[in-house]
Amino acid sequence: MSAADNKNSYYITDKEVSFKFDGKKYIGYEGDTIASALLRNNVRLVARSFKYHRPRGIYTCGIEEPNGIVQILNEHNEPNTRATVKQIYEGIRVSSQNRWPSLNLDIGSINNLLSPMFSAGFYYKTFMGPKGFWKRIYEPIIRRTAGLGKPPKEFRSKSIHQNHNVDIVIIGGGLSGLITARKLINTQYDVLLLEQDSFLGGILKNSKKIKKISNKEPNEWINETEKLIKDSKNIKILKNSLVTSYNFANHLIALEDKSVGKKIDNNKSELTLHKIRTTHTILANGHIERFISFRNNDLPGVMLAASFEKYIHRYGVVPETSPVIFTNNSTTDSLLKSLIDLGHKPAAYVDSRNKDKIGRKLLNYLEKNNIPFYINAEVEGCDGNKKIKTISIKKSNKIIKVKSSMLCISGGINPDIHLFTQSKGLVKWDDKLVTFKPDVSFQNTITLGSVSGNFNYEKTVEEINNKLSFLKTKNIKSNIELNDINNFNIKELWETKHEKKSNWSKSFIDLHNDVTTKDLKQAVKEGFDRIEHLKRFTTNSMGTDQGKISSINSLGIVSKILKKKISEVGTTTYRPPYAPLSFSAIAGRNTFEFYDPQRKTPIHNWHIENKAVFEDVGQWKRPWYFKKFEMESMHLAVQRESEQTRKTAGILDGSTLGKIEIKGKDALEFMNLMYTNAFTKMKPMSSRYALMLGEDGMIKDDGIVCKLNDKHFIVTTTSGGAPKVLADMEEYLQTEWPNLQVYVNSITEQFSTFNISGPKSRDIVSKVFTDVDFSNENFPFMTFKVFDYMDTEVRIMRASFTGELGYEIYITPNKALELWKKIFHFGKAYDLVPYGTETMHLLRAEKGYVVIGQETDGTVTPLDLNFNWMIGKKKKDFIGKRSLTRSDTSREDRKQLVGIIPLDKSEFIEEGQHVVECDRLPKRITAPVEYLGHVSSSYHSPNLNHCIAMAMIKGGNKLMGRKLFVSSTYGTKNIPVEVVSPVFIDPENKRLVS
Amino acid sequence: MILINCPYCGERDQSEFSNGGEAHVARPENSENLNDKDWGQYVFYRDNPKGIFYERWVHSHGCRKWFNAVRNTSTDEILAIYKLNENPPSKESFINTLKTPSGEPKVGSGNFTVKK
Repeated sequence: MSAADNKNSYYITDKEVSFKFDGKKYIGYEGDTIASALLRNNVRLVARSFKYHRPRGIYTCGIEEPNGIVQILNEHNEPNTRATVKQIYEGIRVSSQNRWPSLNLDIGSINNLLSPMFSAGFYYKTFMGPKGFWKRIYEPIIRRTAGLGKPPKEFRSKSIHQNHNVDIVIIGGGLSGLITARKLINTQYDVLLLEQDSFLGGILKNSKKIKKISNKEPNEWINETEKLIKDSKNIKILKNSLVTSYNFANHLIALEDKSVGKKIDNNKSELTLHKIRTTHTILANGHIERFISFRNNDLPGVMLAASFEKYIHRYGVVPETSPVIFTNNSTTDSLLKSLIDLGHKPAAYVDSRNKDKIGRKLLNYLEKNNIPFYINAEVEGCDGNKKIKTISIKKSNKIIKVKSSMLCISGGINPDIHLFTQSKGLVKWDDKLVTFKPDVSFQNTITLGSVSGNFNYEKTVEEINNKLSFLKTKNIKSNIELNDINNFNIKELWETKHEKKSNWSKSFIDLHNDVTTKDLKQAVKEGFDRIEHLKRFTTNSMGTDQGKISSINSLGIVSKILKKKISEVGTTTYRPPYAPLSFSAIAGRNTFEFYDPQRKTPIHNWHIENKAVFEDVGQWKRPWYFKKFEMESMHLAVQRESEQTRKTAGILDGSTLGKIEIKGKDALEFMNLMYTNAFTKMKPMSSRYALMLGEDGMIKDDGIVCKLNDKHFIVTTTSGGAPKVLADMEEYLQTEWPNLQVYVNSITEQFSTFNISGPKSRDIVSKVFTDVDFSNENFPFMTFKVFDYMDTEVRIMRASFTGELGYEIYITPNKALELWKKIFHFGKAYDLVPYGTETMHLLRAEKGYVVIGQETDGTVTPLDLNFNWMIGKKKKDFIGKRSLTRSDTSREDRKQLVGIIPLDKSEFIEEGQHVVECDRLPKRITAPVEYLGHVSSSYHSPNLNHCIAMAMIKGGNKLMGRKLFVSSTYGTKNIPVEVVSPVFIDPENKRLVS
Repeated sequence: MILINCPYCGERDQSEFSNGGEAHVARPENSENLNDKDWGQYVFYRDNPKGIFYERWVHSHGCRKWFNAVRNTSTDEILAIYKLNENPPSKESFINTLKTPSGEPKVGSGNFTVKK
């Protein structure tokens, strides 16, 4: 037999939609999910399983689906999409996953025959060695054969985030959600109703269990309710919105799919992430049916009974007109009746309960309709090739074989407690319902309907009125009429007794991750008897479905093995998200250029025109080096720029340098506390290189401090450190020294900075700023001048980070480019060269200047860098002062800054290499090699024509002139080096001060 | 994500704030008279209790003002917020209001009791 249509469905229209699955074209109806459309076309095999590559079919009708996971080719190759949720539209192209070469013929299914090897903990036990094999051999192979879909291609998210602040959130627009909403219509409360489907109704549309509400047909009642809500002033409905997280402080995350049932519009956002803050949360998110384990309970054709019923009523497709029904409770009664009412006849009805529990009424009904039924019986297993052929029923030790292609199973229903436990609510075991249900709420959470463990629809209204009596609302009066008596009468059943016929015979507990009941037993035997350990060892319920239809079953089975009560075994922890959440939704608009802002200097476009190659420094784009011609390599460019700067002059765009202005009555005192240097005796209009420490005595930042007067300072910081330095200053001002009257303010973007240096720099600036006297007597080293130029204020400081004569020019960004061009106009005669950060680093290394973050790493004190002269020892206090005399910071064998040069001048030392005492390293390192330190900076100096390097070496100050060795990436032979002073050029500072 | 009620701006998302660690740890005034151990205590050691914690916050992506808060570290619930120049509320005033997430050992069962 095969599928049939149900023309009386709620949701499906008769508009045909064509779509492709694995390249083949099929026709479905508008409103169909991929799953319902495939079932309509009698496609049973839709996937291959995770580990064994076993054939799998559609198992459920919703978010809980463990099998029907597909790839959407025309939506950036979106993987791991639930076929039971994703709606089709004209032209959608769907493909199956985890199979090769095709779904029908999958080579990987050999894993199934090898399955004795693949039992619980297989990976942990098998792929232990030899060393390095896991990373290079095992993992790539396992990743290729086990797993899910392929990642998306050329993906660019357009998702957005939206915030809500409401009084009440109702999660779930089913029976209890809608009654609650009606109760809240036009009250004082701001309400948000979230529904995961594209329509309201829930159980009312999924089944024919409920006959009438307030004397109205369910559909009529739903439409009326929706209209009432829409007309209300205080309730908003969000459809296609799945709540994925319930965080602390009643903060919820919901994901809205904006393109359900239609092609994604590339110009619009496809997902909205709703961030919701609420005072009360009403969970009305219903229940999820669970399965039963038996032999081959994964064969295509096995489906949950309530899902089968959902396909009939919601999607108008009867997946099979004569299925076998296997149950241990009464929720399947309505499925039986739905089939018979549509003129179909189930092949058999199998019930594990006795006739008292089943009830006389149903048995009479079965007899009257002439349906073969077996009570006190179980399904032993099913057989078939890629779909069910025969179903074996076991009744009093006899096996009865029934031919059918589908088997509907129900092992009971679980309140969907995922969100409730995420909110940190406590659940308890209910012996009568054979499931966990919510007990004590931790936050302002109220559960209503079947999620609260109330499986009796007639009592819904009473429950809502009782639990919401604390709200200022009227009691609602509504009468719910059922199609049948509402009794659940479940009998505990987790796994049926079954035989093992071959390696193919498997009884699954987790379909998604291919975990069998045998794996559980083995794991317990091996000592993993705690449920959290067992879960991780077996990977049970760790798939993308989170074991929604099976995790309680595994607790049942484990409790039997351990001979404990299920309540003693306990549950594993439910963690967000409730269902897989696309990274693009989380990222929202914060992708690509919006991920992190780019900061550009006013000269940026000039740099581009002059072939600059850029480097990221924090958020800044800084020129790294300038290519003179297209083919010039970085090495050649840097050598050329460095040489030219020392020969005539070079200029650097230093606008990224952090600048902070410090003003106030107590500015001097504050500066003396923040920096190691002493500023009291410093003359106005002069500047000084300064260090900032942490309380632990380690160098945090450096910069140049300019003193205008005792109440006004300007400091520069490193390019990346500016925000942190400003924040630290604020922190100390507010929390430690609120008595100081000081104001600090960032002026990084208020001033552009150019550093011009080289022997000819004085000539160039004299030509640009003709009114300023640049002579050595009137403008000595480490002083500065402020004057008017180009109708604005310009500040020039004589300072240098290259060791050459140099000036730092500060000007408003509006005039910066004009001035920059002017400097080049006059600099042309002197071959003025623009240089980037790499040349800056090279030039400062030649002079032995350190870079914070390169020579230092948060464990370096000023003493380690021989900066004793920068410490105001006479000052009573400054940040980090006491730490400089700690037993650890005053050790003599601390790593100290030295220069090193290779003995063979043609050799090059690499940054980051180790400094050692031995001339070669052993081929296989078996014992630790004595290590002295590391190389922090290394460059080829064009001015000395050999490699120069700086290193941090244990007790380095005492090692001057010693021969040591530096490791290299080329083999075990080390490079012989000499320890020297880190100042390689102009140690007497003649160039600086002339 | 929790909401924090900045005493200067009002309720804002946690992402606008930065945490500054334990509050009421004063910087020693005559540090030169302290031995290494006592100075080390100030620089490196902070409490990390389960339950009531007095801590500092700064509205770093807002008004840049520092303030103090009392937080229940087992639930992230902010129990009180006060300005730097205000007196901290007493620990006793919160003891009876403390909750822990259901299923977790109650406040006072962890290191909270170990520390006096």
